[in-house]
Amino acid sequence: MNQPAKARVLFVDDEPRVLTTMRILFRGQYEMFFAESGQAALELLKSQAVDVIVSDQRMPGMTGIELLRAARELNANAMRILLTGYSDLNAIIGSINEGEIFRFVNKPWSNEDLTTTLQRAVSAARASRAAAARAGGQTQQTPPAAEQIAGVLVLDDDPQVPSKIQSVLGSDYRVFGARSMEEAVGVLEREQIGVVVSDTRVQDHPIINLIGTLKQHHPELVSVILTERADAGSAIELINQGQIYRFVTKPILDSQCKIAVTSAVRQHQRLTQNPELTQRYEVERTPPPPPSSPAAGLSERVKSLRSWVKRWV
Amino acid sequence: MKIRQILLVLLAAVAIGVLAFLLFKTQSVDTNLHQLRLANIRAVDNLDVDYNRNVMQVRTTSLGDTTDDRGELTRRIGDALNEIDQGPAALHGLDPELDQALATFLDTIQDKFELSFDFEARGTLLTQRLINSLDSIPVHADATLAAVSGSAEVRERLGDLLRQIKAEAITFALTPTPVNQPVLAERLTELDGIAEQQSSAFREAAQRLRAGVDEVLGDKTELMNKLNNFLGRPTGPQLQAVEQAYLNWHERQVAVANQYRLWLVAYAAILLLGLGWLGIRLSRSYRELDQANAGLQHANETLEAQVATRTQDLSQALDHLRASQAQLIQSEKMASLGQMVAGVAHEINTPLGYARSNAEIVRSSLADFRALCDAQTRALTLMVGDSASDEEVAQALSQAQALGESLNAEELGADLDNLLADTDHGLQQISELVGGLKDFSRVDRSRTDLFNVNDGLDSALKICNNQLKHGIEVVRSYGQLPQIECSPSQLNQVFLNLLTNAAQAIDSSGKIFVHTAPENDGVAIRIMDTGSGMPEDVRERIFEPFFTTKPVGKGTGLGLSIVFRIIEDHGGRIQVRSALGKGSEFVIHLPLKQQGSSNVAPATEPPPPEAAVAAA
Repeated sequence: MNQPAKARVLFVDDEPRVLTTMRILFRGQYEMFFAESGQAALELLKSQAVDVIVSDQRMPGMTGIELLRAARELNANAMRILLTGYSDLNAIIGSINEGEIFRFVNKPWSNEDLTTTLQRAVSAARASRAAAARAGGQTQQTPPAAEQIAGVLVLDDDPQVPSKIQSVLGSDYRVFGARSMEEAVGVLEREQIGVVVSDTRVQDHPIINLIGTLKQHHPELVSVILTERADAGSAIELINQGQIYRFVTKPILDSQCKIAVTSAVRQHQRLTQNPELTQRYEVERTPPPPPSSPAAGLSERVKSLRSWVKRWV
Repeated sequence: MKIRQILLVLLAAVAIGVLAFLLFKTQSVDTNLHQLRLANIRAVDNLDVDYNRNVMQVRTTSLGDTTDDRGELTRRIGDALNEIDQGPAALHGLDPELDQALATFLDTIQDKFELSFDFEARGTLLTQRLINSLDSIPVHADATLAAVSGSAEVRERLGDLLRQIKAEAITFALTPTPVNQPVLAERLTELDGIAEQQSSAFREAAQRLRAGVDEVLGDKTELMNKLNNFLGRPTGPQLQAVEQAYLNWHERQVAVANQYRLWLVAYAAILLLGLGWLGIRLSRSYRELDQANAGLQHANETLEAQVATRTQDLSQALDHLRASQAQLIQSEKMASLGQMVAGVAHEINTPLGYARSNAEIVRSSLADFRALCDAQTRALTLMVGDSASDEEVAQALSQAQALGESLNAEELGADLDNLLADTDHGLQQISELVGGLKDFSRVDRSRTDLFNVNDGLDSALKICNNQLKHGIEVVRSYGQLPQIECSPSQLNQVFLNLLTNAAQAIDSSGKIFVHTAPENDGVAIRIMDTGSGMPEDVRERIFEPFFTTKPVGKGTGLGLSIVFRIIEDHGGRIQVRSALGKGSEFVIHLPLKQQGSSNVAPATEPPPPEAAVAAA
């Protein structure tokens, strides 16, 4: 073991047998902590700084999302992973928006996938801890001037949505509309875009491939999903493969939408200033899109955007 | 309405009364009576004249001849007067003036009758005496002539004079003229002149003649006076006055009647106007009625078609409703099924998760053990074999030992034992859950069965276990229950529904009491929670279909209505009591046997659920 110190991982599950399994599975790899309830986990977090928290969703007393939200306030740098036995849409949206979680892991899990996910989480945690240490106290930054604010790309079938979002955000933000993925990539090539606001499907094609590819190659891009067709499966996919930043359901509530997009813009600024942090938002490999999908041709163009991103950064 | 009708009737009665009054007033002048009265008056007048004439005739004829006629006349006059005075057409009492005239007339005619009787009585006597006197005159004259002395001239003159006296006396007795008496007196004086120159005999004779003449004169004059007195009674003018007075009265009556007639005409005109107005109104109403009637007729004609269309629409709507109801009930089942599956999936996924993970760990550890085993086997083989050098053996041994140490084989073995035990436990849990599902749904059991309600409650509790986890304690107190005849899957659905509702009513922590007890001819099940309870208005409506307190889209509001129907179909009862903030209690009473039929749920329209599900 070359590493100076083992990463610290906290497992939370009301079923002690799951904890036993984890202990044996990751024995020797991490310094592990175990808690059988959310309250016990929070008590533990107060005294121990951990890198990764893996929590079950359904637990008596405190759900996994409630725990992760509280944990985020106690220790913002810890990566959060939710282990869930079934998909409750509200729980998932809540965990995305409030828990800013790194991954969903479905029960029953595969040891290999869990190991990989945990490794990624650990390295992301290390990177962000390093970045935080480097930045010192100056994480809080003055808001940049208007021309420095990155553009917002709105990808939606409904042509009303971009203007609606422009009016919600006010004139400080530049909002670009796109009604197809072609158009979206065109805009990304021409303009400085920091935030992508998109529906889950555009012209009957799921957006996940585009978002995943963008995140893979341009991790500093921040995605906000704005949809009325929310379902648990696609939300899990979007977080695991696209690291979406926020999940907003239609109808658009002005305040909710404004908060989501403005914080996404700030997130983008943080990421461009601290590229190490992008590891926190590393995504799973997107399965190669089927050739018929328009995303297939697009993914090459997206990759070529790297040069532009470098220049812009 | 009633008052209005009464008013109308009163109005009509008053109108008719006024009309009758006016008519009566107009009819008060009776023409027949008037004619009768006038005729009566005329009759009296005529009779009076007849009577006068009758009396007059006495002069020329003997009284006795006319006596019968006069009696007849007198009777008739009496009758006529009675008619006037007292009969139905009497004039008496009509008018004071008329009364006075009538009284005067009656008095006069009374006088007249008396005079007539007097005349009759006296007249007979006088006439007789007159006739006697008249008869004596020629005798006295002859005696006078016989007693005369003198010349023939005197004799002749006396004879002439005596003839003149006789003639004059007879004339006077029969039809006296104004000149008769003076002429007679002159002749008698002339006779006296002659007698002065004659003898006393002559004078005596002349005197007797003169006395006879005087007697004739006196009787005749008395008779005449009496007749004249009778005739002089003014019955005619008085009767005229009566008639005049009556006519005056009649005229006044006619004038009054005319006045009333005018009123009547005016009133009739008013009535006619009213009638005309009513007529116009009636005709207008009639026209409206006619139109309405036409509309009705038209409606009538089209009614059948409309009814047919409506019926069709309605039956379509009914079909549609039935379809949507079935769909709703189905979607309710699907929703609760989904919720239940989600819960059970989580229940299963946790043991499945660690069991699978453990199996992987064991498999990968097995490789390590195999390597250790191989190393140890090789060292053992080298040790036992002759060909290997000591160094080689020592190396192999140390390798095996190092491997064993790195593996920490003892600890690993214990861990693996643990993992396998956990896996066993997990698999056991899964199989229990699956068994519970099966028990719960009863898919392998007949619809009507003998069933222990306690078992149903247990399986429902197992199924909704994941919903009960959050600090909810379930307290079971089961009584010794007889098996009841029922549809177990439906009852399980009821229990699951009630338990789920109870769990949802509990905010963070609380208790659910599940109590069963045998009853007369049945069982009682009480499910009580310490949750939020519900207000009275909610409690009253919870069994209504589509009533829900959950947000739109979160519940169909059918769960408890299905519960209610299942219990009703089983011939049981369900009651609910609730106190806001303290909790709710559902009490179910179920009979031991189903009534009459082996089919438990005939009234359940959609087929009973294959897998009973709880309501959200």
